Amino acid sequence: MKNKARVAAAAAIAAAAIVLAGCSSGSGGAASAGSGKPASGGNLVIARAADASSLNNTTVFDNNSIFVLQQIMEPLFTVSNDGKTVKPWLARSYSVSSDKLTYTIKLRKGVDFSNGTPMTAADVKFSIDQDTKTGSDGWGYINSAIKEVKALDRSTVEIDLKYAWAPILADLSLFSNAIVPNNYGGESQESFYQHPVGTGPFKWDEWKKGQYLKLTKNTHYWQKGKPYLDSVRWNVVPDANTRKLQVQGGQADVDEYPDWSSFASLKSTPGVVATAFPSTEIDYIAFNQKRAPFNDVHVRQAISDAIDRKALVKAVLYGNGKPANSLLAPGVPYYDGTDGQKYDLTAAKQALAQSSVPNGFSTSLLIASGNANQAAVAQILQSELKPLGIDLKITQLDPTANHQAREDSDFDMAYSAWTMDIPDPDEWTSFAVDPAGGANSAFTFYDNPQVISLNEQAQKEIDSSKRQKLYSQLQRQTAQDAFLAYLYYPPYAYATTDKTKGFFVTPLGNYHLENVYKSGQ
Amino acid sequence: MLHRLRFVPGRIVQAIPVAIGVTILVFLMSHLLPGNPAVALLGDRATPDRVAALSKHLGLDKPLWLQYLIFLGNLLRGSLGESLSYQQPVSGLVLHAVPVTLSLLLFALVLSLLISVPLAGLAATRPGGARDLAARTFTLLGQGMPQFWVGIMLILLLAVKVRAFPVGGYGDTAADHLYYLFLPALTLAIAMCPTIIRSLRASTIQVLGSDYIGTARSKGIAGAQLFRTHVLRNAAIPTVSIIGVNLGYLVGGSLVIEKVFAVPGLGSLMVNAIFARDFPIIQAVALFVALFVVVVGILTDIVYTLLDPRVDLAAAQGAAS
Repeated sequence: MKNKARVAAAAAIAAAAIVLAGCSSGSGGAASAGSGKPASGGNLVIARAADASSLNNTTVFDNNSIFVLQQIMEPLFTVSNDGKTVKPWLARSYSVSSDKLTYTIKLRKGVDFSNGTPMTAADVKFSIDQDTKTGSDGWGYINSAIKEVKALDRSTVEIDLKYAWAPILADLSLFSNAIVPNNYGGESQESFYQHPVGTGPFKWDEWKKGQYLKLTKNTHYWQKGKPYLDSVRWNVVPDANTRKLQVQGGQADVDEYPDWSSFASLKSTPGVVATAFPSTEIDYIAFNQKRAPFNDVHVRQAISDAIDRKALVKAVLYGNGKPANSLLAPGVPYYDGTDGQKYDLTAAKQALAQSSVPNGFSTSLLIASGNANQAAVAQILQSELKPLGIDLKITQLDPTANHQAREDSDFDMAYSAWTMDIPDPDEWTSFAVDPAGGANSAFTFYDNPQVISLNEQAQKEIDSSKRQKLYSQLQRQTAQDAFLAYLYYPPYAYATTDKTKGFFVTPLGNYHLENVYKSGQ
Repeated sequence: MLHRLRFVPGRIVQAIPVAIGVTILVFLMSHLLPGNPAVALLGDRATPDRVAALSKHLGLDKPLWLQYLIFLGNLLRGSLGESLSYQQPVSGLVLHAVPVTLSLLLFALVLSLLISVPLAGLAATRPGGARDLAARTFTLLGQGMPQFWVGIMLILLLAVKVRAFPVGGYGDTAADHLYYLFLPALTLAIAMCPTIIRSLRASTIQVLGSDYIGTARSKGIAGAQLFRTHVLRNAAIPTVSIIGVNLGYLVGGSLVIEKVFAVPGLGSLMVNAIFARDFPIIQAVALFVALFVVVVGILTDIVYTLLDPRVDLAAAQGAAS
């Protein structure tokens, strides 16, 4: 009975969305990019599906928490707007020793924490050391190449590496390496993260769990004149339709992740600006190579070739996003889609004919329940694999049970996705192709020594053109091995009121709210 | 008068095994769900090593019976434990959400009485007449429309088109809360009205046909006065027990409505906790809801006893045992 009620609920919401889409027509909204002189003042309200969980930047893994804590605490380096490089942020400059093992970093002058105390090298050493200490309980593994962090003087930090490590600056740009006051300003770690202090544009104000989280302007912020906003508030609005209506009604300024099905109607709603920001997300189908026939490369190739990715983008993302051809998304440095995966039914039939199961077989695809995109992909794949004689059953599990099933390798094929946290391919490639990365190659048991070696070489290669060659080769080989069937690269969907200016999301998903202002203040 | 409420302490004692039963059932059910809270917390970055480390850190590697005993021990000391996802005491989280859901339910109850009592009265005075027909059409519509749909329609009409009310949320001040909760409460009230109107209409018609009403009429009492002093009290008796039972169901209905209107009540807390496998929160909310239903049951019986002097539950209990 409950299930029926849920289905009916979903149907009614969808019907309301269609009615609404029909009602709303008119000119497209203005561009969200800042134009004219930014005005100070105003409060920004962001409506999102779920609450943050914790603001401990060294141990938290969900984006709802990360996007908030990034406004409070900042790292030494940050990602550029195109997501391809890192630029100094709380660092002013850096130099690298000839053996690539020592990084000397000069800190930016005049940076204060929101409590008014100046940031020094001792704070930097403490913060990075704290992150490293979390080990496998948190993000500590990201610092595994770091041997020691030394505070040389008040404004100089030296980072000694165990071995040459190309992603080090990208690692330092991760939120887990953001700078907090030395020794948590004398507090315990637990009490510090109840009201964290950092150098970011906003400071801690109030958190009503499950309802809203509010930050106010940091008047000590190092970028003079910024932030423009007086406060930012993230409201928890679980229902996608309600979030959309709140932006239309002016009750919220930003709708985080509206559904693709309502994206077009939001775009044409007067007073609303809907933007798809390029992301680093790749959605893919993982094959469990522990189970036959997925240990056969021809089977995997056949399925990958049979997927019409353009049709998926059209049907599932409503034309937003791109068909995926490579392990890396175009927003990731060293992306190379040459000789990538693509739709080719003839090749699919040939590959299956050469395989251990030339006449097809029965298998199952694991997806997360309650996820409209995954359900749509699953149904399309079901019909696309039928001509090959592959009978695909769809298994739905709620998100946590779904994760658990992948963790336990209890699946044939599974829908999954990845987004990057650092502007470097290594975080994902090590997780995906190297069984030593801890996750059995993204839970597929893929094990190609040639690819593993390419990944290891790329980790240690500092020269970017040589690194490009290694990653290009890695992308070509993994596409051919089809250990994953890449589906598409979806962008990040955001809807804002047309009064919200300067709102921009980097391919890593984070936003710099110090640049946001509201017109008409 | 008071001696007829002798049954209350006994009922409260009976609630204790019910509560313990609910905790065991909910504890087992939530742990039977596939999926470890550590997996939920780590998300895409979960590797077996990290899941194992975090599970140990959260105390999830202990045997199930031991985890339950720890929960029970905490409960006896007045603590509901610590949330796995928020890493904060559960009591604080639940205490924030309880008043929200309770005020939503109370508001819905008040609104539904404000709508139902006059409508039922009007319908019963002339059964089969135009007003009766109108009231019966309303009950039919109210019963036929799904709650969430009514909610969305009310938002579209009163919050987006007319902009008289906010599109969901809870507000910051007490006055805000009333204003923000009006639409969700009205949605719940519309769902609850039909049952109340039907039962009240039927019993009112019955009461109006009884001899003592004829006597009252012959004494010159009529209209609203007759309805208030002689009809409503007697007609309300069956309705009170219906409202009592429905309040229990309403807790379930409020979960959906809380989502549509972004009301940060127990429903939202519970749904998120289930997805995150945040066992301490699931247990605390289930325990609270169970106690709520028990308390509403007792209150219903108290009101029932006070309304009808012939009812003596204490005597009935004595006779049964």
